[in-house]
Amino acid sequence: MRFFETPANLAALPVIFPILIGLISLLMPRPSVWRRVIAAVASAALLAHACWIVWHSMDSGPLVLRVGGWLSPYGIVLVADTLAGIMLALSAFTALSCLLFGYAETETREEHPLRIPLLLFLLGGINLTFVTGDLFNLFVAFEVMLLSSYGLMTLESGARESRQALPYLTLNLVGSALFLAVAGFAYSLLGTLNFAEMIVRTDALAGDYRLTLLAVLMLLVFGLKAGLFPLYQWLPGSYSQMPAPMSAFYAGMLTKVGVYVLIRIFGTVLPPSLTELHTLIAWTAGLTMVIGVLGAVGQMRVQTILSYHIVSQIGFMALAIGLFTPFAITAAIFYIIHHIIVKSALFLVGGSIAKLNGTDDLSRTGGLWRAAPWLGIAFVLQAMSLAGLPPLSGFWGKFMIIQEGFTQGEWVLIALSLVASILTLMSMLKIWLGAFWKAAPEGTPIHASTRTRVMTAVIVAMAAMSLYIGFGAEKFVRIAAHAAEETLNRAGYVANVNAANETSYPSKTPGASKP
Amino acid sequence: MTNQLEAAVLVAVLFGAGLYLCLSRRLLRVLFGFLMVSNAANLVLIAISGDPTGKRAAVVGADAPAGVVPVDPLPQALILTAIVIGFAVAAYLTVLVYRLYTDRGTANVTTLFNCETPGGAAAKEDAT
Repeated sequence: MRFFETPANLAALPVIFPILIGLISLLMPRPSVWRRVIAAVASAALLAHACWIVWHSMDSGPLVLRVGGWLSPYGIVLVADTLAGIMLALSAFTALSCLLFGYAETETREEHPLRIPLLLFLLGGINLTFVTGDLFNLFVAFEVMLLSSYGLMTLESGARESRQALPYLTLNLVGSALFLAVAGFAYSLLGTLNFAEMIVRTDALAGDYRLTLLAVLMLLVFGLKAGLFPLYQWLPGSYSQMPAPMSAFYAGMLTKVGVYVLIRIFGTVLPPSLTELHTLIAWTAGLTMVIGVLGAVGQMRVQTILSYHIVSQIGFMALAIGLFTPFAITAAIFYIIHHIIVKSALFLVGGSIAKLNGTDDLSRTGGLWRAAPWLGIAFVLQAMSLAGLPPLSGFWGKFMIIQEGFTQGEWVLIALSLVASILTLMSMLKIWLGAFWKAAPEGTPIHASTRTRVMTAVIVAMAAMSLYIGFGAEKFVRIAAHAAEETLNRAGYVANVNAANETSYPSKTPGASKP
Repeated sequence: MTNQLEAAVLVAVLFGAGLYLCLSRRLLRVLFGFLMVSNAANLVLIAISGDPTGKRAAVVGADAPAGVVPVDPLPQALILTAIVIGFAVAAYLTVLVYRLYTDRGTANVTTLFNCETPGGAAAKEDAT
């Protein structure tokens, strides 16, 4: 096929493929086994492709595609480097697990006909935010992602839950308008929206107050998407109201898109001389950690507790970004790898608890350790990993962040992160005692069936993956270190994008090559 | 770029009024607030295109007068995309507000989040 003649075209595949499969599944209006198989195979293929991108960019540099053949500062470029590849792999992995869990949870004919198409469109939008090399294209990617996420959020909600979409929607709408205005300011200040060209021009503007102002606005916009303090209030209510597989996907991916963009913008696009802003990120991160974890204390529903912990964990990643050294960015990337898998798995555990006990309100659950021991084992592994106990994956992430904090002498921030970790452990203990250890309350039947066993199998597979990350941490740290080095190497990014101008794409009429 | 104070003031007023409406308790006001905020953002983009007085269009025929600065066309391409996206989102928000109204029988955020028993069409269905 002509498409595969240029390897750079493969950078567009993570965007085109899910949207194409989503459209195909829209053509099959009724939920069927075939549709389920196609969606699962597609996300497995995306996972393999993303792993290939990571391997390729570590081996021979990132893939850069000039979309439509336009020269780089004028057209849109897609850049699939190591960091983008890692994020693509994580999004495909999470989508695959959540799809399989959803298949086990609901019967084929009871599935909402729009769930799979919308999830695939959401995946396409998320993947575009990872590979894009253009600020306005990033805005479009955010909108594709958000529109699908609005739809998915209210798709299966009843009269009681639909109101929770409102804060999410309103805040994101204002955030989007602000992002659009920020893109406008960036264009008027720099005269370009291409990341590579922005790098060149921001260097010339280093120290200008207008650049700092632009960076503050960007922090506001992307901090909102990531759920940083004090912009996190929309998150716990809206995430906990969705069906379990959907909330697991949202919990794993959507806020991490914000974190990814923060790394990309502050690490690559904006000059590293904005140290005041890095300090600001670090301190808001410290507050985010503690406030998120305190929010979870009074909650009784598993999904709500876990939602508050997302906020707290976002704080850890943002703290690593704020410390801003190659080692700290490595820690942030490793933490993202660990967090996405652990967090989605925990949300799926919450879904299993709700399925087994008929509710996920901890005052009315119990007896699951006896009824579903494998679920219990997977939960303990993931929960301890979230709290950061060695030798699980979360420990290495926190260890690296705290080590960097010691090096920089940020004692208060280290203390905050340790307090947050201990409180996380207490929250996890609360879920453990409430759902697994204590006996089921009188008259609560436990609905164990083949379906719940398959659901548990999906969760155990995810737990095995995060165990592998914990025990094989060296390999993942090496990949993260390479990604961090590539992200902070701004000159290298420009060189890679400019090198793509040298490659010519095969055109349909030979001889008449595009400019 | 020329000094465009009036555009800046207009954007500030629209953003401020839009945000004020978004913070309102009544859902219809939130909808109108969003429309104002998104149009304020669009205005930012069109203002970046430059002061249009005395400039010619970006693409003209050969008979255009020489020495006149053209308007920057890129922000106009951006604004078109933004308008389309804003339209889609506004449509979704309208449907959501209507759905909340039919679900809960109210278009006021305070009653929406305070009353635990739904009082709208869905509740009536449950009762029967």
